[in-house]
Amino acid sequence: MNVPRYGPREADRETVPRATVRVGGSRPLRDSPLLILLGIVLFLGALFGLLRVADRSTQLAPDYLSEVVLYALSAACITMLVVLGFILARNIIKLWVERQRALPFARFRAKLVAALLGMTLIPALLVLFVGSELIRSSAERWFSAPVDDVLTSANEIARDYYRSRERVVSDHAQRIAAALSGLSLDASDVVRVRELVTSDVAAGLLGSVDVYRVLLTEGQIGRVAIEPLVEVAMPTGPLGYSRAGSERLAERVAAGGQEDRQVEPLPGGADVVRSAAVIEREPGGEILGVVVASDALTGSAAFHSRRISGAYESYSQLRVLQRPLAGVYLSFFVMLTLMILISATWMGIYVAKRITRPVQLLAAGAREIGAGHLDYRIEPQSRDEFGSLVDAFNTMAGELSTSRRRLERSRRDLERKNQEGEQRRQYIETILERIATGVVSMDAEGRVSTINRAAGRLLGLDRGAVGQPASAVFARADLEPLSDVLTQAHIKTGSRSAQEVALGKDGHEVHLAVVATTLATDIGDVDGTVMVFDDVTPLIRAQRVATWRDVARRLAHEIKNPLTPIQLCAERMRRHFTTAPPPTRALVDECTSTIVGEVESLKSLVDEFSQFARMPSPRLAHADLNALLDATLGLYDGLFGNIVVERSLCPTLPQMRFDPEQVRRVVVNLVDNAVDALEQYLRTSSNGYKGVIVVQTEHDEAASVVRLIVRDNGPGIPDVDREKLFMPYFSTKRRGSGLGLAIVRRIVVEHGGNIEVADNVPSGTTFIVELPC
Amino acid sequence: MPRTEIATSKWPTLRRSPPLGVCGLLLTLMVAGVWAAETVTVTTLTRDGQVLVSLDVAGAYTQDVRSSVQSGLETTFRYDVRLSREAAYWPDSTVGSATLAATVRYDSLIEQYNVARMVDGHVEETTVAEDEDEVRDLLTRFERVPLFSTERLEPNSEYQVRVRVERRPRAAWFVWPFARAWASGVVRFTFVP
Repeated sequence: MNVPRYGPREADRETVPRATVRVGGSRPLRDSPLLILLGIVLFLGALFGLLRVADRSTQLAPDYLSEVVLYALSAACITMLVVLGFILARNIIKLWVERQRALPFARFRAKLVAALLGMTLIPALLVLFVGSELIRSSAERWFSAPVDDVLTSANEIARDYYRSRERVVSDHAQRIAAALSGLSLDASDVVRVRELVTSDVAAGLLGSVDVYRVLLTEGQIGRVAIEPLVEVAMPTGPLGYSRAGSERLAERVAAGGQEDRQVEPLPGGADVVRSAAVIEREPGGEILGVVVASDALTGSAAFHSRRISGAYESYSQLRVLQRPLAGVYLSFFVMLTLMILISATWMGIYVAKRITRPVQLLAAGAREIGAGHLDYRIEPQSRDEFGSLVDAFNTMAGELSTSRRRLERSRRDLERKNQEGEQRRQYIETILERIATGVVSMDAEGRVSTINRAAGRLLGLDRGAVGQPASAVFARADLEPLSDVLTQAHIKTGSRSAQEVALGKDGHEVHLAVVATTLATDIGDVDGTVMVFDDVTPLIRAQRVATWRDVARRLAHEIKNPLTPIQLCAERMRRHFTTAPPPTRALVDECTSTIVGEVESLKSLVDEFSQFARMPSPRLAHADLNALLDATLGLYDGLFGNIVVERSLCPTLPQMRFDPEQVRRVVVNLVDNAVDALEQYLRTSSNGYKGVIVVQTEHDEAASVVRLIVRDNGPGIPDVDREKLFMPYFSTKRRGSGLGLAIVRRIVVEHGGNIEVADNVPSGTTFIVELPC
Repeated sequence: MPRTEIATSKWPTLRRSPPLGVCGLLLTLMVAGVWAAETVTVTTLTRDGQVLVSLDVAGAYTQDVRSSVQSGLETTFRYDVRLSREAAYWPDSTVGSATLAATVRYDSLIEQYNVARMVDGHVEETTVAEDEDEVRDLLTRFERVPLFSTERLEPNSEYQVRVRVERRPRAAWFVWPFARAWASGVVRFTFVP
C-alpha cells in the first residue's frame, strides 16, 4: 500500500489524531507496463517461431511431422484451449457473481466484455472454420491422378531395371554353376575354377564372382558349413563393398533356402545385386558348392531408378500420412488462431477492466466517503483522464477530510465552551442557591426565569413560579411593593431601581433592600430584569436595639442622677415632719414612703436599663446544647403542679459554638415566659387543663442551623403584640420590665441566629430560635 | 519337473470377483466396444523359470498398415507388456514390464522388406523378406518370448499379462496426448511352479 498523496494539513495534524488512511485499488501486477510489454514480445516471438516451424515443415520428414510435431502441436492446442476456457469461464463466473451481487457497473462491464468477446470470438471462429476447411480440402488435392500414374509407372520402370539386372546376374551365376558342376571343388580345382569365373569378371559382365565349397552337408537347414574357394572381383569395386553379404547368401542357398537373390545397398549410394546358384555333382545330386555372382548398380540408370523409387516412396508416404500432415497444418492454424483468440480475449477483458476498474474504484471510494471514511484514497493507476478523475476524487476527499477535522475541532471547542459555560452556570446557580440574597430574574417577556432559594424563602415563592408572568407572581398582596419596584425599573431600559420595602410574612414584617435592574441587549432592547433583595430585617432590628441601648444609657444616666436627691429630700422631709401632728406626719410618711418606693423602683428600672445597655458580647465556645438544656430544664422538674416541661431533643445535634451562659439565659427567659403565660391561663381556664411546655431541638442540615423550639399550649400571643414582642419595655405582664425578650433577641442575634414567634397548634405560642452550626 | 500351465486370453471374460469386478468388467466391455479396434491374443507359458509370452494381433495388419508399409515408411508395432498381480479391491500391482517392437521398412525398388524385432530396445532378429505374409507375421506375432522371471511370482497366485499395442506412424488428424492403445489384450493365469 502506497503512502497516500493527500492527507491532513500540517496544522491539522497537530490537533487531529492520526487517522487510518486506506487506499483503494492498488495496482495489480498484470497492469505493469513492463509485464504487458514482455507478454506482447513473447506472443510475437511465439508467433514468429510458429511461422518459422510451419515454413520449414517441408524439410522435415513426414513421419517426424506426423509424430513429434503433431503431438507437440496437439498438446499445445489442448493447453491453449484449457487456458482459453479457463479465462472465459473465470471471467464469466466473475461477471455473473458481480451481477448477482449487484455490484456497481457489473451490468455495464458484462456488456462491455460480451461485446469485446463477441467481436473477437466470432471472427476468430469463422476464420478457424473456413481455414480448416481450406486446409482439409487442399490436402485432398495434393494427390492428383496424373501424378499418381506417372510416379507409379516410373517406379515400375525402375523396378524393371533392377529386375533385369537381377536376372542377368542370376543367369551368370547359373551358367557358372553349371560349368563347375563337373569339378570336385577341392584344392586341386582352384586354378580351374578361377579360370572359369575370371573371364566373366574380366569381360565386365559381373563385378565379382565368389565360389564357396560346402564342407558338410547332412540335408538339414542350418547344419551347413561353407568355405570360400575362389573369389574374383574387379579391381575397382564400388565404395563399401564387402563379401559378407555374399557369404550369408551362399550359406542360405547352401542350406536350401529359397531366396537366391539379394540386393544390398552400399554406403556410397549404390546397390549390389547378388545371385547365388548351387554347384551339384549331377543335376539334383549332391551340393558341392555355391556360386555367388555380384554386380554393382552404379550407373546413371541405377541412380535415376533410386531417385524414382525415392520420389515414389515419398509420394506414397505423403498419401499415407495425408491426414496427419493435414492435421499438422491444421494444428498450426488452430494454434495461431488460439493464440490470437487468447490474446484478443485477454486483451478484451483487460480493456474492459481498464475501463470499468477506475469507475468501480471511484464508486467504491464514493461509498466509503459516504460512509464517513474520509481518509479513503484511490491510488491513481494511469495518467489519462481517469487518472485526473481519480486525482480530483482524492482532492475532494482530502478537502472533505480537512473540513471534517475543522468541524470536529470547532465542535470540540464549542462543547468545551458549553461545558465551561455550564460549569459557570452551575457555579453561579450554586452561589445563588447558597447566598442569603434573594435573586429573581425575568426574561424579556416579563416571565420569571429563575428564583433562588433565598428569594423563595424570603418571598414565600416556590419553583412553580418559574415561567409565570412576574406581574402575576408579584400581584400577591404581600408582594405588591416588589411589583412597584419592578414597574419603576421598567420605566427606563438599563436603569436600576433600589428601594427598601417591608413585606408582611407570617404576621411579622420582613424588611428587604430591593434592587431591580433591567437588562438591555446591544441594540437597547429589554432582555430581562434581575431583582436582587437582601433581608435587612436583622439589621434594622439591630439598629433599633442599638438605638434603644443608647436611649437606655441616656435615660439611665439622666434619670438616675436626680433620683438620689429626690430620695434624700423625701427622707429629709419625713425626718422634718417627725415632730408634726400625727395626721400631718402620717401624710408625710405616706408620701415620702411612696416617693422613696417609687425612687427605688425607678432605680431598679434604671439598673435594668443599664444592664441591657452594658450587655457583654457573647464568648463563643464549643458546647453541647442538649446537655445545656438538660441541666437548665432540670431546675423546673417538679416545680409546678399543673405545668409539665417536656424535652424533645435531637440526639444528633452537631457541635456548636455558643456562649452557654447567654443561651441558658435565653432558655430560662423563654421557659419563664411560657410558665407565666400558662399560670395566668390556668387561673382563668377550667379545671383539669394541664399546661405543657415542650423544649425541642432539631438540626436543619440544609440551612446549617440548629433550631431550639419552645412551645406551650397557653393562650398564645395576639397578632398585634407580635411585632412589638421583642422590643424593649414591651411587656404583657403587669410586673415585667419588658426587656426579657429584647435581651433574648439580642443574644440570639449576637450569636448570628434568628428568633421567630409563631402560633402553636391547637393553642399556644411557639418560639423558634435558629443558631448557626 | 515343473508343471506348466498354458493360459490363453479369454477377452472379454467375467472375473471371479465381487460386484465391483462385474461393474469394472461391464465398464471395460463398454469401453472396449467403443474404443478397441483390435484385440491382442495373449498366451502365457511358464517354463524353466521364465514366463513365456506369445502375442498375436494378426488383424492389426490392416489396409492402412499395409499402405504405410508399402509406402516405404518405417512402420513399427510396439507392444507394451505388463505382468501384474491381481487384487480384488485394489489396483493390480505390477510385477514386471517389457517392451516388444517389430519394425519394417519396405524398399519398393527391390521389393524387399527389412524387418527388425526388438525386446526392450535390443534387436533380437532382423529379417529380409519378400513375402508380405511373412512380414505380417513378423509384425503381428511373437511366439514364446521369455519376458519375465518366475522368481518374483508367488505360487498359486493369480496374475495377468496385459498388452497394449501402439502403431507408428499414426494416421490421425489429431494426436491426443492421453491416447489409448491402438490394440490391447489381456490374459490371466495362476502361477503353479
